[in-house]
Order: sequence, then C-alpha cells, then structure tokens
Amino acid sequence: MTPPAPAPGPSSSSGGLSTRYRVRHATAYDYGEDVPISHHLLHLCARPHPRQRIRRSLLTIDPAPAVRAERVDYFGNTVTYVAVQEPHRTFSVIAESEVEVFEPPALAPTESQPWEQVRDSLRGLSGPDDGAEITQYCFDSALVASSPELLDYARGSFTPGRPVMAAAIDLMNRINREFAFDPTATTVATPMAAVMRNRRGVCQDFAHIAVGCARAVGLPARYVSGYLRTLPPPGQPRLVGADVSHAWASVWCGAADGWLDICPTNACVANRDFITVAWGRDYDDVSPARGVLVGGAGHGLTVSVDVEPLED
Amino acid sequence: MPPVPFTQGSLFGEADAIGYGSGQVYDEMVNGQGRLRPHWQTFMSTLGPLDAEQMAQRWEEARRLLHQNGVTYNIYGDPNGMERPWPLDMMPLLLPAHEWKAIESGLIQRASLLNAILTDLYGPQTLTRYGRLPPSVIHADPGFRRAVHGIRVPNDVHLHFYAVDLARAPDGRWWVLSDRTQAPSGSGYALENRAVIAKVLPDSFRHCQVERLTGFFDTFKETLLSIAPRNGGAGSGRAPRVVLLTPGPYNETYFEHVYLARYLGLTLVEGADLTVRDRTVYLKTLSGLEQVDVILRRLDADFADPLEMRADSSLGVAGLIEAVRAGNVVMANALGSGLMESMAMKSSLPTLCRHLLGEELRLPGVASWWCGNDAERAYVIDHLDGLVIKPAFPSLSFEPIFGAQLSAAERSALVERIKRRPWYFVAQEQMALSTAPVWQDGRLQPRPLVLRVFLCATPSGGYAVMPGGLTRVSSESGRLVVSMQSGGGSKDTWILAPRRADVASTQPRPALAAEPTASGARPSANDLPSRVADGLYWLGRYAERAEGALRLLRATQSRLIDSNMPGATLQLRPLLDLLSSLGMIPAEMARVTESGANRGLREALHAAVIDPDHPNSLRSQVLRLHRTAYSVRDRLSMDMWRVVSAIDRQTQPPKGRMDAASLLLRLDDVMITLAAFSGLEQESMTRGAGWRFLDIGRRIERSLHMVALMRGVHIADLDREDEPMQAATLSVLLELGESVMTYRARHLTSVLRTPVLDLLLGEEANPRALAFQLAALDRHMRALPSQGVGTGADPTGGALAIVAAARNSLERTDALASSEALRTLFDTLAMSLPDVSNFLAHAYFSHAFARSA
Repeated sequence: MTPPAPAPGPSSSSGGLSTRYRVRHATAYDYGEDVPISHHLLHLCARPHPRQRIRRSLLTIDPAPAVRAERVDYFGNTVTYVAVQEPHRTFSVIAESEVEVFEPPALAPTESQPWEQVRDSLRGLSGPDDGAEITQYCFDSALVASSPELLDYARGSFTPGRPVMAAAIDLMNRINREFAFDPTATTVATPMAAVMRNRRGVCQDFAHIAVGCARAVGLPARYVSGYLRTLPPPGQPRLVGADVSHAWASVWCGAADGWLDICPTNACVANRDFITVAWGRDYDDVSPARGVLVGGAGHGLTVSVDVEPLED
Repeated sequence: MPPVPFTQGSLFGEADAIGYGSGQVYDEMVNGQGRLRPHWQTFMSTLGPLDAEQMAQRWEEARRLLHQNGVTYNIYGDPNGMERPWPLDMMPLLLPAHEWKAIESGLIQRASLLNAILTDLYGPQTLTRYGRLPPSVIHADPGFRRAVHGIRVPNDVHLHFYAVDLARAPDGRWWVLSDRTQAPSGSGYALENRAVIAKVLPDSFRHCQVERLTGFFDTFKETLLSIAPRNGGAGSGRAPRVVLLTPGPYNETYFEHVYLARYLGLTLVEGADLTVRDRTVYLKTLSGLEQVDVILRRLDADFADPLEMRADSSLGVAGLIEAVRAGNVVMANALGSGLMESMAMKSSLPTLCRHLLGEELRLPGVASWWCGNDAERAYVIDHLDGLVIKPAFPSLSFEPIFGAQLSAAERSALVERIKRRPWYFVAQEQMALSTAPVWQDGRLQPRPLVLRVFLCATPSGGYAVMPGGLTRVSSESGRLVVSMQSGGGSKDTWILAPRRADVASTQPRPALAAEPTASGARPSANDLPSRVADGLYWLGRYAERAEGALRLLRATQSRLIDSNMPGATLQLRPLLDLLSSLGMIPAEMARVTESGANRGLREALHAAVIDPDHPNSLRSQVLRLHRTAYSVRDRLSMDMWRVVSAIDRQTQPPKGRMDAASLLLRLDDVMITLAAFSGLEQESMTRGAGWRFLDIGRRIERSLHMVALMRGVHIADLDREDEPMQAATLSVLLELGESVMTYRARHLTSVLRTPVLDLLLGEEANPRALAFQLAALDRHMRALPSQGVGTGADPTGGALAIVAAARNSLERTDALASSEALRTLFDTLAMSLPDVSNFLAHAYFSHAFARSA
C-alpha cells in the first residue's frame, strides 16, 4: 500500500553499485479475545534473487509458537508455517533482515525484441527447466483472470512490432497516469474487474493490472512483493515506521533481457530502491502473513515496515 | 459391424418376440440379427416371461427397498433437489467373464499409468522438463496444486481410489470417456443397486453366477489401513484411525458418504470435526482429541485447507497440508490427484504409457485434441463439424459445444475464443453409445449407457477392479449425454463368473450370499465427534419443541371447533395467551373472546401450523428438526429417518385450503408420528454418549417449555383471577403437561393450584414434570465423558450446579405455596436454565469455526 514515493531517483545517494538495507517488518494481530489455536503461513523472509543478497534474516514470533517449519515453495520463495497452540489474544511477527541490493544494468528498452516475438518464442520453450519456470506465469491465477477489458487496455501499449521493454514501460506509465492511488478505494478482497472499472486502487491492485495486461497479450508476468525505500525530502530525517509492504510487477522480456520489474505505482523500473521478498502469480501466492484461527472476536491488525539504508 | 457368430436361439426366440428393437448402435443384449447374446440367456430364462404385472410388482419392491434404505442424491442449486429418490432400473447390465478380463487389465494399466504421471508431476517433473508433456498442460490447469508439489506420499501412491467412465462403440470395443481421480463417487450407489436387485431378482442372481462386490471393498479397507503412518501409534498398539471426510449433507452424494463410512467401518467426519496440532490431525471427540492416521476424502483438494488452499473454505481443516507434509497423516486420494481429470493430457496418454510403463495403452481413450498444442488446435479448427468442444480442465465448466450445431457466426466466435485462450479447450470425437434394455412403459426398450468402473490400490502396490460398476442410462433413446443430474437412471452391473468348469478350483460361494455385508469394525464410542453430539442435542431440542408447539395448537384448535367442550370458551383465553407469548400468533389475536367466530384468528392459527416463513410455526420447527436430523443422519436408524421424513411430509402446506376439522386431524397425525420418534429414541438407540446428548436436548427443551408455560399464564398471579378462570387455566396446564388423567385419579374434581403444580413441577415420577427433567439431566451429565475438548476445567460442573440449584428450589416445602415464591422460582429458572445449554456447548461442542485472519 505504499503511496507513490515523492521523488524516486534512479539511484540511491551512496552512488555505488549496491545498497545495504536493514529491514524491519512488524505485523501484530489483536484477536479481541483468547483463541485456542492459530495457524499462519508467512512470506516474510526475503528470497534469493540475482540482484539481491540476503546477509541476515530473523523472524521473532510472539507468543513462541509450538510449531515452526520453513520450506521453499513452488515459486522459490521462503515460506514459514507457524502454529500457536496455547490460548493467545495477540500474535505478532517481526521479520528483520539485512539485504544488499545491486543496481540493475542500464536498460535499452527500444532495442529489445518485438513483444510478439517474445510471445511466440514461448511456444517452443518446453526445454529443460527454464521453460516451465517462465511459462507458468502466462495463465490465469486466483486473483488475476484475463478479460476483454484487460486485453483492450494492454493493446494500448502493446502495439504491433513494439519492442517488448518499451511496451511494458509504457504500460507501467499509463497505469500510473490513468489510475488514482487511493487507499480507501480497495481492500485485499476487491476484485480486479472493479479496479479496472473505477481506475483507483493501491500498489497491489496496480501490480495485478500490469500482470493481467501482460498475460492478456501472451507474455508471462509475475507479481512481486517487497519493500521500497522511501527517500526522504532534502534536509529532513527519514520517516520511520511510515512505510508498509509494497508490490510491483515483473514481465518476461525474452531470453536476452529476462524479467523486467516495473512499478506502476511510482512509474519506475525497479532499481536499488526495491527490495524483493517473494514472487508468485498474484498476491494470493505470496501474501506476507496468512492465518486461520479458531474463535476470536474480530481482529485488529497493525503493520509497520522500516527500510533503513546502512552506511558502509 | 461384423455379425456375432453365435446364433443359437434363446429360450424366448428372437428379440423381436419381446418387442425389443435396437438401432444402429451396439446393443448389449441382442446382436445385429436381433438374437439374444449368449451371456444373456441364463438371465432371461430365469427372469421368466416378461409379464408386465409381475415386472411392475418387482419394480414396486425395488422402489420400496430403495425408499426404506433411504437411497437419495441431491441436486445442487435446486430447492426441490435435496434427497431425490435414486432412480434404478430393474434390468442389470450383464458382461461376460472374458470381456471383463480385458477391461480389467486395461483399467489396471491405466490406473498405474495415471499414478505414475502424478508421481512425476508432483515430484521431479521429468515429463515437462524433457518435452514429454508441454509444461502448460499443468501450469494452465487450476487443478495442479502447487502447494503439494514435492510432498512424498507412501509407496508413491497418489491414486487410491479411481473411477473410469467407459462407453462401447458400434464396433463393440470399450473406450474410456473420462477419468475420475479427485474423489470418485458412485461406488456406494453401485453397492446399494446390488443389494436391491439381488433381492428383487433372487433367482436370476443365483443362477447367473454373479461376481460379488464385497471382496473389493475388503481390499480397499486393507489398503487404507496399510498406508497409515506408523510413527503416531508406535508402542501404543492402537489400530490406525481412518476417517471419511465429507463436505457435509448438502453435497450431491452425501448419501453415499454415509453409506460407505458405515460399510467400511470408518468414522464419517466433516472438516469442523478435525483439528491440527503439532502437525498432526486429530478428531475432536467428546472424550478429547484422537489422532487420525488416514483420511479418505470426498472433499475436493481446493477446499481441504483454508491456510494453503482456498481461504474461504469452511469445509476444510487449517494446517492439514502441513500435517501431510510432515508425514503424520495420509490422504486418499493424495491432494492434487484431481490433476488427472484434465482432458488436456488425454491425447498424450499413449506416448506416456510407452515411456513410463514400456507398454502399449490397452484401453483406448475417445479421440481427443487439446487446443493448447498448436498442431492439435489446427486440426480442431479444421474439423469442428465432427467434434464436441469441452473444457480442458474440470474446474472450468461450460456445457459441451457440438460443432455440427453451430451457425457460421457462432463458429467463428468459438474459433476466436479458442485462439485467445487455447489451453482451456479440448475437442473430442462424438461417440455413439451402446444401448441396454430398460424396463419402461411395460416393455423393454434400448437406452444409451455409460459404465462407471471403480478401482482401488491394493496393499501390495497394485490395483484391483471392482467386479461390477455403476451403469447409467439416459432417459431418452436418442440422447447423447448420460447423466443422473438430467433425469437418467442407473442399473446394477453383473459380471458373470467364468463357467463352472473353469472355476472348479476356486472357493465355493455361499448359495445365498447376503450381499452387501458391512466389513470391518464399527467406530468406537470414542469416535463420537463433538459436532455430531451437538447435532443430536439439537435434534432432541427441536423434536421436543415441535411437540410443545403441537400440543398447544391442538388444544386450541379442538376448542375452536367444538365450543360445547366443557370449559372450552374459558380455556381458550389462557391458550391464546400462551400462543401469543410464545410468538406463534400476533398479540392482538390473543384478545379475541368470541370462540370460533373470528376469521383472523383462524388464519393466524392456520399460519402457526403450516407457514414455513413464520419463524415459530409448527412447520418451521419441523423444518429445523428435519435439517438437524439430516446433518446427523449417519447416526440415526433407518426407521428413525423414515419417521422424520413422515413428519416432514405431514406438515407440508396443503395444496388447497384446509378446513379447521381437517387441520385438527392433521395435527393428531403429526402427534402420533412425533410420539413414534420419541419411542424410537427410547427403544432403539444404544445408551451411548450420542443418545445422552439427544435426551439432554429433549429434557432441557421440555424444562424450558414448562417454565415458559407457567410464566405465559402468569401462574404467580393466578389467584387474582376468578375461580372459573383459575380452574380453566390449570386445566389447560394439565392438558399441555399430559397429566389430566393422573390428576383426576388423585384429586377427582377440584382443580387447585398447589396440587397441579406439585404434579407438573415437583413430581419426579411424572415424565412431564420439571423435576423429572432435572433428575434426568443430572444423571446424563454425570455419565458424560469428564474431559471435554473445550477450555473449561470442569465441563459439566457449571451445568450440574444450575440443575442442582433448580432441584433444590423445587424441593423447598414453601416453593409452590405463595405467589411471591412462585414468581421468584420461575424468574430464577428462566434465567438459569438456558445456561445449562451454554455450559454444555462450551464444554463439548465446537461452535467456533475456523476463520481467516
């Protein structure tokens, strides 16, 4: 739900090739009354990524869970199963990590392949390993179903013969321009069709729209959840605790260019300011904390995210 | 079609003689020359002449048996679709041993193949990595469950129970129409069909040497026990616990879930009955948590676990997949097995069979083309006319589209749809189904059929085929679609054993095997799930509530009809007061004094009996009773269920208007049926915890009702009324409390408050008295398991204390003497007694369903 960053610069202040961050993501539930048992599925530990190195990662859970099991899911994300089995009224998870993010190579969007070629190249892509890993992001998923409306919208950017990266970036810019950032407009449960109709939403919605548009024209696209470093206005201290988790989209641009991460919320291609936690077909695959409990009287939820750059 | 060489005439000569003509397709009973096929001859000769009257009698018998056994199915989305009677044709489908052998070996190969594909796709995925299958075949399919990828299942068996729909082509070969690998239904109906037909046609059944079905289910039960993880019970020596997980009474084949659970000796559970702790699945029983080792699931994987699958599922168990992952519980079928229902993979099966098993596919599948494959799509678009277009994946549903029936515009629209999302479409060749004889309109008529055959994994890692199946026939001769949901029928399927000479070495069969018989042990008393205890408790309450409402309505109605009844006019007043205070008629109706004259009152009473939209009408109570009984149907005897159905029928709104006299007669009928229900409760239920909860429900409801009656007639202020009104009120109470006779025998004439209250409240020997209910509650609660699954330290302590206090207050000598004492007594009881219910609920029932957070 991160609002557009005030002035997302192309690189961070340190000017080097990478930035190290300390990330603290705290999630706290208040169930209103004691619940005897709760189960949780957490996507809170940042996944490995070619442009990102995890130097330290720690989950602190309160109350201490009876069961805690970590595994890697189908998409390569780290997922943690947690069960609290004694009566508890609150549940909190603090995910702390130190992550180093590298600046992506400079892009040459207009020199990428025409998008139709990328689309058609997928047909033969059944070969070892990568084929399936890439093509699985072509299809409808729980929260992103293709529709004529999405296809129409996508065609505004994916014009015949246009280089795929240029088209994806144009799509990103159009969503940024034509959709209003409005945290009151949607919830996690708002269907994508409603977002399309009302042209309002938050970063998760925009990421879904971008993913859906790319898939509508036949390109694999995934939903990425993570954090964004919010740059402080000049002369002011960085706001701590104001941040929340962020989401953007990643579009497959062919074997030569690979995945291109686009952030419609901020109209920028992901750079060193973006910390990736997990990716999947849509939010449903990677929601940071999903839980099921027995009983409870409604719940309050507090989330805070601090993304603090570390000086070397 | 080549003529069948066998031309020996049957005992009945040509098929024409019995007026049975088959068409251009293959007929199961007669050959191309209209002669009976050899394997039908014994059957037809034992059937005797096809006398319409005798056949009608047999049909009546079959219907009676089906009704008696409560064989039903439900149709989703149809308010009248609950509990449809099961349509069964009397004529079985006969298949000879040699033909069955070929089918059997083909099906066993197919089961092994599908299992091998599942093992690969949920494991190393070599098939998609190395080009044997396009990856999109799994990735486009919502039925591919990423959450369970990588989970090892015992012995690599994903598919424990499997069903195949077969159809016979005009050339006489059997073809596979579709595979059922998620949670196949129909085997219980096949068992029930057998039970009925073996009784209706005993001679034919005996002489035809029909293969028995029980062995197959014994094998399946053994398999279920054999896959139990051993770590849970190590050293404890306990037998593995296998449960059947059902989505619940509203599922279309719920009857079968109940039936199979009984037949296999498994506990029938719903998701809410299970809980996961320490990555282990437990059954919530009255005596605490009992570990579950194997889950035979009739629930689609999508709904199995709200944590990892659909979050909106209230049918599943949170943490279930993690328990499977940890190896502490085994699902049958494994989660994700539904993938093999995909039509997209069918065209690849011959190659996959060669690759994975090194064999040719023995049983052909109906030719199909998956549009997700470029070459196959091109073929489909060029040959639309001869094809049927279907969804590639079972989770997408649209009606089959017959290419030949499309207009030019529809055709190009379809091609456009296919091109946009090709992977969602398959095309199949249209197949002419074989026909079998159905008894209809007094004669045999050929009807198209589809045969569903069932397989189970064996403990040694192979597959066994049920020697029989569920044959479904279409309702009309020309129909291309065979479906129970669209009015078709079913048949028993007889696999004829090889001729006697061939089976000399096998074990002799019992001459009259009472088939089917239940196998395996009954679930123990510890297996009473809390949800079922809750259901039985409410069943008792609703039955008693209906009875209370009924007595009140009947007493009122009889006085309205017959104002000559002694005291009728005066007694109407307290009765109407009660009806109004219990919310059965509007308050202004209670003020009517002229008996019988008021039309509005009559209509209000009519509504209080039969209006299903009136929340406190008798009909509403009966609907609650029926619904609750339905939810615990597996715990009720067949007779109890029939009585519940009868109560439901008797309270259905009449077609036209009903006059007051016939309404009264109707109420009398319902009274007797309700009495039959309580009689069965007392006389045909084992005194286990289940019965106790039912009786607790009844006792609590009767206590609350008695208190409500006393307060409704303002018993404490009764001395303010004149003497005739006092007597009228007390007489009404005696009648509603079924105690008129007893009172008269003791007190003859005068009706006085203290002796009436003694009889209705304090008299522990009177089964209608409050003291009787309290004593019973005390007894029951002391006999309940001491450890509930709730959080309370002493589950029944609170409830017992309330009951004890209530009994004490009744025993005090002055309790019923003064108006003041009475007021205090009933105010206290009205406050405290409902808490008995709350305490029990807290201790034993888990009303709190899992929810997402």
